[in-house]
Amino acid sequence: MGDIVVLVKAALNPETIRSKPDGTVDIDAMSLKISDIDRNAVEEASRLKSILGGKVYSITILTWGPVAKRSKDLKMAVQEALAKGVDEAYILADDEIVPGDPVTTASAIVGIIKKEGLNPDLILAGEATIDGFTGQIAGRVAAKLGLPYVSFARKIEVKDGKIVAERDLEDYLETVEAPLPAVVSVTREINQPRPPTLLQIRRASKKPQKTLKAADVEGLVKPKRVIEELRVVAVKRKQIIIEGDTLEEIADKLIDYLVKEGVLQL
Amino acid sequence: MAKVLIVASSERDAGEALGAFSSAGDAAVLAYGKAAAQADAIAEYGVKVYKLDSDVVDVVFAALKKLYEVEKPSIVAGVSTKNNRDIMSRLAGLYDLPMTTEAYDVEVGEDYVRYKRGALSARAIAAEKAPLPAVVLLAPRKTKPAEKKGGGSVEELKVEVEPTVKVVGRQEKVKGGVNLEEAEIIVSVGRGFKKKEDLKLAFELAELLGAQIGCSRPIAADLKWLSEDHWVGLSGKKVAPKLYIAIGISGAPQHIAGITDSKIIVAINKDKSAQIFKHADYGVVADLYQFIPVLIKKLKERMGRA
Repeated sequence: MGDIVVLVKAALNPETIRSKPDGTVDIDAMSLKISDIDRNAVEEASRLKSILGGKVYSITILTWGPVAKRSKDLKMAVQEALAKGVDEAYILADDEIVPGDPVTTASAIVGIIKKEGLNPDLILAGEATIDGFTGQIAGRVAAKLGLPYVSFARKIEVKDGKIVAERDLEDYLETVEAPLPAVVSVTREINQPRPPTLLQIRRASKKPQKTLKAADVEGLVKPKRVIEELRVVAVKRKQIIIEGDTLEEIADKLIDYLVKEGVLQL
Repeated sequence: MAKVLIVASSERDAGEALGAFSSAGDAAVLAYGKAAAQADAIAEYGVKVYKLDSDVVDVVFAALKKLYEVEKPSIVAGVSTKNNRDIMSRLAGLYDLPMTTEAYDVEVGEDYVRYKRGALSARAIAAEKAPLPAVVLLAPRKTKPAEKKGGGSVEELKVEVEPTVKVVGRQEKVKGGVNLEEAEIIVSVGRGFKKKEDLKLAFELAELLGAQIGCSRPIAADLKWLSEDHWVGLSGKKVAPKLYIAIGISGAPQHIAGITDSKIIVAINKDKSAQIFKHADYGVVADLYQFIPVLIKKLKERMGRA
């Protein structure tokens, strides 16, 4: 009783973006890392573990291939989750479903939950992942499992078999109450994840991990959406560092530049 | 012809979604929340409007599910608001539909939809294609609204459903009275400021330039020195001013993602290796506490206000 499933993505790290000569993104040259907001979800899961009293399971679906090339980054991402309080990790990595599609990822998550007989009180995910940022996995999983869904939570409290959460919307905060089990997506503001300690990292490597293939999971939906092109945004900034002997001189030069650019009228 | 179902919580959002898809085929609109009161105005686009007087997401989702089964649309669309993301992701999950958010330049074909969207923290643009039926949420304010031609109709929707997720309270967010999306000049502040009181340096500069005040995530989210409507970045506001002046901002990728549409970016930071300089047109490596007063003085002189 009282288990938590937390969804963890090994996402393309936008900071490692490289361009091919034709201006498209060299995806193969980019590395993967645990998606930022999933760190918050893991942190929240380990906090709530002590209240709910169960185990924390993570589920990771590899969406960027090929598997052979990504396995090291994938392992690092899962290790970080394990170090931060996840007890057991499930991973689905299969070249058959890369590059992925949220429709596939959600069906894989639901497939793993069913196959492994996981019966969580709470499924936690980040509101979106740093690579695609479409923010739809948690909602899909909730609908497929027929569970209540609370999105954009920046605060969660568990009491008397239900959760009270604060949804962070554009113009207002909405406090909601939902029965458990439930699916909750969290925002960055919910907590401040700290990096794992050395001891936590060492312990993580001994925790159970199970890697599955597409054929192991029932109800898997094949990717539908196709990324036809991924092009690097070519914003050329001038990157001029203004030098001068005094701050007065630098300020004058800066003002001159801005007037010349037509963005400042004196 | 494709059948389109638009889901909107404001007249403006409904207009934009109709603008993107009006040539695709017959459209109907599910108008919920604030849009319910604007149902007649939305009907003037010449569409059927289903009016739902609720903004509780469980109720809106139940209504959408019912409409989806009756209308069998090939496209379900709207603007990428948070409640729309919530509702639409559930619909997409229920029927295994492809779904995207923040889309623009939409093109609908016989059995597919093509669109563009920002990806990788706004450092790349993806061109994607999805088979129909599909869910498409648009990037706000990037699509021209449709034209009103009159002749629509309004039907009130009654949904008898007890929400599983109950709304027990709402609290309006405090606003600092800024409208960063429309600002021509933005002076933006970051962790380089040591105390809340020190922000007055930036306020003075902003006043002189007729600029609005923006900030990085820590200033709004962690320190709460400014209200959240000042927050620029991936989770905050995406801005497109003529001039963006980043003071004491290191330039985290999430912040950069919010400022890429700026015409000219100026960075002032004492750390010469700060990431922000790579994304700036003009950089000044200096202590903001020393430089900003000098810049203000010089501006005043040259504006004849000294």
